[in-house]
Amino acid sequence: MLVDSLVAGFGLFMTPLALGLTLLGVLFGLLVGALPGLGPLMGIILLLPVAIGLPPVAAMGFLIAIFVGGSCGGSISAILLRIPGTPLAAATLFDGYPMAQKGRASDAIGIAISASALGGLFGGLVLIFAAPALARVASNFAPPEYTALAITGLIAIAVISDGSLVKGLIAGGFGLLLATIGTDEFSTGYRFTFGTHHMLNGFHIVAVVVGLFAISEMAYQAMSGDLLAKPKITVARPGFRSIAMTLRHWKNLLRSSFIGSFFGALPGAGGVISSFTAYAVAKAMAKPEEKYGEGAEGGVVATESSNNATVGGTLVPSLALGIPGDASSAVLIGALLILGYFPGPTLFEQQPEIVGGIFLVYLASNVFLLIAGILATPLFVYVLRVPKVYLIPTVLLLCSIGTYALQASVFDLFVMLGFGLVGILLRAASYPLAPVVIGIILGPLLENNLRRSLLISQDGYWIFLERPVAALLLGINVLLIVGAIWFAVRQGQKSDEKREVPEAP
Amino acid sequence: MLGNKQVNWLVIVFFAVIIAVVFRQIHTSMMEQGIATGGPYDNAAAYPRAIAIIIGMLVMFQAAVNWFKRRPVSPETDLTLEQAYRPMALLGIFALYLGLLGVLGYHLTTTPMIIALLLVCGARPSLHIVVTALLIAFALAYFFEAHLKVVLPGGIYGLNIPW
Amino acid sequence: MLRKLIVAGALAAMTLGTNPVHAEFPERTVENIFPWSAGTALSVSQVIAKAMGEELGVSVPVISTPGAAGTKAFITAMNRPADGYTIFDGYVAPLVLQPVLGNADWTYKDFKPLHSAVSNAFSIGGRKGETRWTDFEGLMAYGKANPGKLRYSSGSRNNLPHMVIAKVLQSYGVVAQNIPYKTDGDARKDLKAGVLDFSFVNVGAYLQDKEGFEILLVLSELPGAKASYDGAPSITDLKIDLGLSGLAPMGWTWWLVHKDTPDEVADVLRAAMTRAMNRDDVKEQISRVGFVPLDWDHTQYDEIVGPVAGQLGAMSNALAWEEEELKKLR
Repeated sequence: MLVDSLVAGFGLFMTPLALGLTLLGVLFGLLVGALPGLGPLMGIILLLPVAIGLPPVAAMGFLIAIFVGGSCGGSISAILLRIPGTPLAAATLFDGYPMAQKGRASDAIGIAISASALGGLFGGLVLIFAAPALARVASNFAPPEYTALAITGLIAIAVISDGSLVKGLIAGGFGLLLATIGTDEFSTGYRFTFGTHHMLNGFHIVAVVVGLFAISEMAYQAMSGDLLAKPKITVARPGFRSIAMTLRHWKNLLRSSFIGSFFGALPGAGGVISSFTAYAVAKAMAKPEEKYGEGAEGGVVATESSNNATVGGTLVPSLALGIPGDASSAVLIGALLILGYFPGPTLFEQQPEIVGGIFLVYLASNVFLLIAGILATPLFVYVLRVPKVYLIPTVLLLCSIGTYALQASVFDLFVMLGFGLVGILLRAASYPLAPVVIGIILGPLLENNLRRSLLISQDGYWIFLERPVAALLLGINVLLIVGAIWFAVRQGQKSDEKREVPEAP
Repeated sequence: MLGNKQVNWLVIVFFAVIIAVVFRQIHTSMMEQGIATGGPYDNAAAYPRAIAIIIGMLVMFQAAVNWFKRRPVSPETDLTLEQAYRPMALLGIFALYLGLLGVLGYHLTTTPMIIALLLVCGARPSLHIVVTALLIAFALAYFFEAHLKVVLPGGIYGLNIPW
Repeated sequence: MLRKLIVAGALAAMTLGTNPVHAEFPERTVENIFPWSAGTALSVSQVIAKAMGEELGVSVPVISTPGAAGTKAFITAMNRPADGYTIFDGYVAPLVLQPVLGNADWTYKDFKPLHSAVSNAFSIGGRKGETRWTDFEGLMAYGKANPGKLRYSSGSRNNLPHMVIAKVLQSYGVVAQNIPYKTDGDARKDLKAGVLDFSFVNVGAYLQDKEGFEILLVLSELPGAKASYDGAPSITDLKIDLGLSGLAPMGWTWWLVHKDTPDEVADVLRAAMTRAMNRDDVKEQISRVGFVPLDWDHTQYDEIVGPVAGQLGAMSNALAWEEEELKKLR
């Protein structure tokens, strides 16, 4: 049946229009991903009106390709400029930027693109072979399980905030608090809105991320010596060698892709959580000599493979159940409906050619991403040669337009500036910024599912122990917390020893 | 002259203010709306309060660390006023730009903003930078307005280019 | 030199942008401010916007501005100039329901209608294989015997489906707990997973997985709505009066502009939207999603929307009743 649908879809997929639009979609996706502000979701929304006038597989190819390219594009600006083009790439900063600083910008981008494409293809295999089964598992995740999972996500903060666990946790808590701003889903009351309608839906996450990372980074860049100097960077062309570099981390690649597909298949989890989780796991399992956080290839492999595998993952509940895995796939479902197809079990039975065609365009998007992305890498790296005097104003303007475009709001720009100042302050006091992002993403997941669980429960907090999966996840969380504390204490002792050595006469 | 130690204390104060705002809002705005008490359906205050308390404890711990730690955490972050001038000017210009953006619109404010930033970043005043600024401003506007159908702020005069 | 160039540029921009509004409206992109997050309803508005844009000769992007049950989008649009370049996607929730609940201070008279857009019928659905009841009356009997035990979702709290479901439950004397969700899809997932006992199910969701739901009651009096659920029982089949007459079809949206918008501008938009809504391709695309394209034009606005406020006002006590009863049980 599966092979049949792929064969049936092949005819719809092998048209110049479908192939051409898929390629175009990947390129556009890379662009909106790399520009600070806009991301895959906005890319899809902006081009949906174009897509709904097209044949179904070509239309879905176009939109899915934007999703795929957009999920990867953010890494480019993260690696080159220390600015995550989308929140998805916030974890790619950790090792991608240090790699670029060491003169390995092309390698880092090559690896990011290869890992994205390979992770995406892995997600595609999961989609093709396990969609109904995985969708069944995921659909049994109810509020108590999500609550436990959100706590697991928060534990990742402990792993990624090196040597400053307390500061990392404070930053994460700050993110959780930021997420409470706006209209409360349950009481329908307004929290921390200070009487202004601009705050009724809280701060836009993209405005916060762009502010924290991009604005603060530009301020820091402006501090460095001569901004007029033309950076003399010889750009090595890694070309398709970077695929081999990525494959050397095959264990990490498989693991991270699996994490990505799994989180993708869970409606509501999404790419940001999966990339942070994959990074935390990769770091925890790495050998000390790999030096995560100082330019380890494995770090880039982990984050980028997982966030693109998430794309394949989100298509699982979307296509198999008609339940969107995240906002982007919600729009994809909308497009599919307008085109006259109902995602869900009946689609697999009655229109297998459409399912097959969608699988094929998804796989093709990843292949195109690999080829087009690697060929274009030298073009991206050219950004590093632009003197900072031009780079800084352009980036600031791009941040402004990109953030404004999200919901045509000047208020969002002030949010961005405000968080730029917060970012500068936190960086100056060596607080990690990434936990703020984790907190904002996990906040609604944690609070709403906790309160939802308690509402659903007939006997209060017992619901978490009555459901086996929730109880298991909570047990794992307890073990992780104990482990993290033990790890932190040992690290603390080690670093104390290290410090004391040079001071001894 | 702003040292690392002072910055660390500044962050502690920042979080302390945030915690204070959380409690203040719970006792004023949320009380008035009737969402500060009750079960999970009606009580919107319990969760932010819990988070604020946890942050509060962590911040106190961090404050104690700051107090007792004699070694600077990372010595290179001491900042002189000369170094700080450029980023401060940059942020000031940017803030002014955002403030005027809603009033005068994108097309009147963007080119001057870029010129000012170029000058702050050390470019010499010349026709060259004016042309560069115009190019950057209008090329981006063209891309976003004509192709992505984003309507950039027109300000009180409603200045929008029908591309 | 420098200053001259800036002035020249500014003047050029001004002459391009400030022609009198009515000279040749529209000169540029017209924006639709949409009150919900990205999802199916957004796509439906994009279909209409695209067609309307083709009729107008400019693009009409739809901007998702969620928050506070849709009121954020309304306030955002109200703060913009009344020049016809901003369209309100006037869903009944922010347009009528939120003012009724005291969360907004406008009435439907504060806007000029362009044309009605779509409506979205909904139903109360359970899952397949339910053993505790076989039909809606059975569900109500179970609920009556187990006060406060049933869990359901209307999507978000105090929205239109919540009000209607609460009204139905009230007339049967059944107390159940509503569980709010961020997206309707998540609620339906938990219904299927056995966490919820029943949920609101719109036509689109039903069409996607007919085998997954047991439609217990269609919350609309329109025969068309009953037909879209393959003849499931509707409120007209029940022996009780919910005071809903005339309210159906519910969950509609009218596209509106600020009431200070010049008539000649509003007329251009009205003509374009009317042409768009009359196009067969538009109707077909909307229907595919399970939404119903509406053909009331602006002259029928008062007649259709006027009574709704009163009816919703009469129903809003059902929400208060539900809250009271739940508190008593705790």
